[in-house]
Amino acid sequence: MTRGWLGALGALLGVAVLFAIPRLTGNEYLLALGISFATFSVLSGGLNLVYGYTGLLSFAQVGFFGIGGYTAALLVTERAWSLWAGAVAGGVLAALVGLVIGYSSLRLSRHSFAIVSLSFALLCMIVARDWVSLTRGAMGIPGLPVPGLDLPGWRWRLSRPADFYYLLLGFAVMAQALFYVVVSSRLGRAMRAIKLNEPLAQSHGIDPLRYKLLAIALSAWLAGIAGGFFVFYLTIVDPSIFDFYYTETMLIMVIIGGPGSFWGVLGSSAVLAALPDLLRFTTDLRMVLYGAVLIAAMLIFPGGVGGWLDRRRLRRWRRPSLTTP
Amino acid sequence: MDPGIFLQLLLNGIVIGVIYALVAMGLSLIFGVLELVNFAHGEFYMLAAMLAYFLTMRLSLGYAATVAVVTILAVCLGYVFYEALLVHIHGGGFERSILLTLGLSMVLQNGAVFLFTTTPRMIETPLSYANIVAGSVRVSVTRVLALALGLVAFAALYLILYRTRIGRAMRGVAQNREAALMVGIDPRAVSRLAVAIGIGLSGLAGAALAPVYAVHPLMGFSFVFKAFAIIILGGLGNIAGAAIMAVALGIVESVVGGFLPLVMVDALVFSSMIGMLLLRPEGLFGRGVRV
Amino acid sequence: MSSLLEVRGLTKRYLGLTAVDGVTFDVERGSVVGLIGPNGSGKSTIVDCVSGFQPAHGGQWMLDGRALTGWPAHRIAGAGLTRTFQTVRAYDELSLLDNLCVATQESDGVGWLASLARTRRLRSTETAAAARARGLLATVGLAEYAGAPAAMLSYGQRKLLAIAAAMMARPRLVVLDEPVAGVNPTMVRRIEDVIHQFNAEGVTLIIVEHNVDFIMSLCGRVIVLEAGRKIADGPPSLIRNDPRVLAAYLGQSRATEISHERG
Repeated sequence: MTRGWLGALGALLGVAVLFAIPRLTGNEYLLALGISFATFSVLSGGLNLVYGYTGLLSFAQVGFFGIGGYTAALLVTERAWSLWAGAVAGGVLAALVGLVIGYSSLRLSRHSFAIVSLSFALLCMIVARDWVSLTRGAMGIPGLPVPGLDLPGWRWRLSRPADFYYLLLGFAVMAQALFYVVVSSRLGRAMRAIKLNEPLAQSHGIDPLRYKLLAIALSAWLAGIAGGFFVFYLTIVDPSIFDFYYTETMLIMVIIGGPGSFWGVLGSSAVLAALPDLLRFTTDLRMVLYGAVLIAAMLIFPGGVGGWLDRRRLRRWRRPSLTTP
Repeated sequence: MDPGIFLQLLLNGIVIGVIYALVAMGLSLIFGVLELVNFAHGEFYMLAAMLAYFLTMRLSLGYAATVAVVTILAVCLGYVFYEALLVHIHGGGFERSILLTLGLSMVLQNGAVFLFTTTPRMIETPLSYANIVAGSVRVSVTRVLALALGLVAFAALYLILYRTRIGRAMRGVAQNREAALMVGIDPRAVSRLAVAIGIGLSGLAGAALAPVYAVHPLMGFSFVFKAFAIIILGGLGNIAGAAIMAVALGIVESVVGGFLPLVMVDALVFSSMIGMLLLRPEGLFGRGVRV
Repeated sequence: MSSLLEVRGLTKRYLGLTAVDGVTFDVERGSVVGLIGPNGSGKSTIVDCVSGFQPAHGGQWMLDGRALTGWPAHRIAGAGLTRTFQTVRAYDELSLLDNLCVATQESDGVGWLASLARTRRLRSTETAAAARARGLLATVGLAEYAGAPAAMLSYGQRKLLAIAAAMMARPRLVVLDEPVAGVNPTMVRRIEDVIHQFNAEGVTLIIVEHNVDFIMSLCGRVIVLEAGRKIADGPPSLIRNDPRVLAAYLGQSRATEISHERG
């Protein structure tokens, strides 16, 4: 009981510190790292939900991210919506798309979903680049306006990086809280059951399709909203929002943190978001390193850091003998 | 439409289609025999092309020698690839194989970018400017050579798959793994050869086509996704289907690309792939393998 | 009163081979029915079809008069027909307690929103489920390992766990697929006791097994299959001497020998 409360207190403290950072330092590079961490944590958290917990390898996350970005940008610039409505709409659209591709491919086989999700991400890239009348093509939509929030007694204009830091961090905290509530509930347990042994779960009355669609829809919704906010931070949305780079990075975060480990993935997202600065590698070498880590993980440590910690905890239980009465 | 131009485009399309076919058939063979999606397949193609550039431009090796050396190295590399990496995750789940080969592709691709930068390089030899002219149709000699090599490779592959014992074993494993294992086929030997051949085909394609288009580290990336689309449309594990779809794609790209923005073709290809996966998962020509 | 399970004309084909050919049988409430037959006779296929894991090509089956034909596996489980698997299945990374609680969470009527909001109803339902799980673990003799991950169990213990899990949602009919295959004699007796106890509590059971002695001592009625067809159906004493059954298992000449021996 006490450990739970201590953990919650620790988490709250950590969040408070993160929110205090812009006041403690004006270093904009640090803020950019923080924004990157917040955004990636939502993407990798969603991928963890779909792949780590439910067992579905998916390349579609970046597609949902970009759909959210483009939707928000278009609704704001073409229809004068507010960013808040636009981002939510982006998330909803992403979730609907996720449900469609999930429903149609999951009924076929597990392998189908992986390949369809990959094709979907590629198709998004192609559409963004080539359907010029919709997406403005390779140039994208630059010059996105400064978003604002008008509440009684408070006007907020998101004109500085610190503003976006608060926005994305706040959203990331809410997203992680939602992830946590889901994975620690019986819904998360059902997802894990599906990943561990799907026929067994079916024999226990669990409908795998419903839970897989839930995981996909939830991760897509949050990724879409994150995308909406992120492109306004960049003040431009263009086809590079669908870059494979995002997919590779969030995959590494999940693999290193440990698929199915909530804290592991959150931790690895923080570390890996800060890595470009810490290691001062060029992007290419960093990707070479990520690739090597991926290979090593598949060969040696598929469970990541989280899995390693789990195995250590499990060693408490000695194997019972066969003749135990 | 000027029949001369149409014929020109058609010929170019056939050439590129044959090369697509080599890559796609290699990918299909690996998938059929090992039930593994080789994400790094395009990178082997790229490495072969880069090596061909180096051999031709720095060591002044002739076309035939370059292709021979690169192909042999590719086959050996395929062998190493299997023994060093793939054999460990063989049967360890679909997802692991995707992620492992994805990791390898990240290493190879970004490594190549780091070492050689993304600047495209062209192989320029006296051969590059030679053309065969027939009426209003002009075909570069390099293209003709590439086509010839591709056809030779087709024939060789056919002979291996249908006229040798181990080729028959490969087809058996691709069609029904359990049955093949039950009759005593050694999965490791068959898999090793399948990977060696698959990578070898990729290498041959890279070396053969290197003189025709620009060579750069990212050339494998778009290729491999197209190869995926091809094998899905043609039927996963169905090698002949892959070849037919590949040539068809090459022709469509070339002919349509002569008149419309090429970009539409890409979108069409990938939409068709998704549609095919959802509506007719066994592809146009039927399954060699269950997905 | 109608039977608990009625199977009519069940048929299943695999690539030209007819694995199950028009099999018809009833299972009475509260009984323990054995399903035996040589390899390839179609026993496991029948189990897979009836429980929804394989589609049948023909025939229908009803549980308490309710047609389950064509239903997906999870829905059939929800209707009160559960099963265990020949290759023993468990959620290795989950604790024994979780292994059991998962098995009942879809049938206790608590929805997703209530689950996330952790309402009082959810919490009391989970407490009740945990209590029931502990009771079942005690019945099968695994109570002391309730918090341990299932990966730690021995083969026989995993079989017991699987049976307990199949009982969690208070099913009406449980199909056990080779519950004692590959298990040592002490464990066989333990599993037999467990089955007796659950049957005494009102659960109807179908047991598919190769271990004919096990079936004969445990079951009140035995159904025998050969090459996809039902060749015998009756009490163990009758089945033991049925010439067709002997022929199916031992080959015709040996069967004739035995019949002569028995007189």
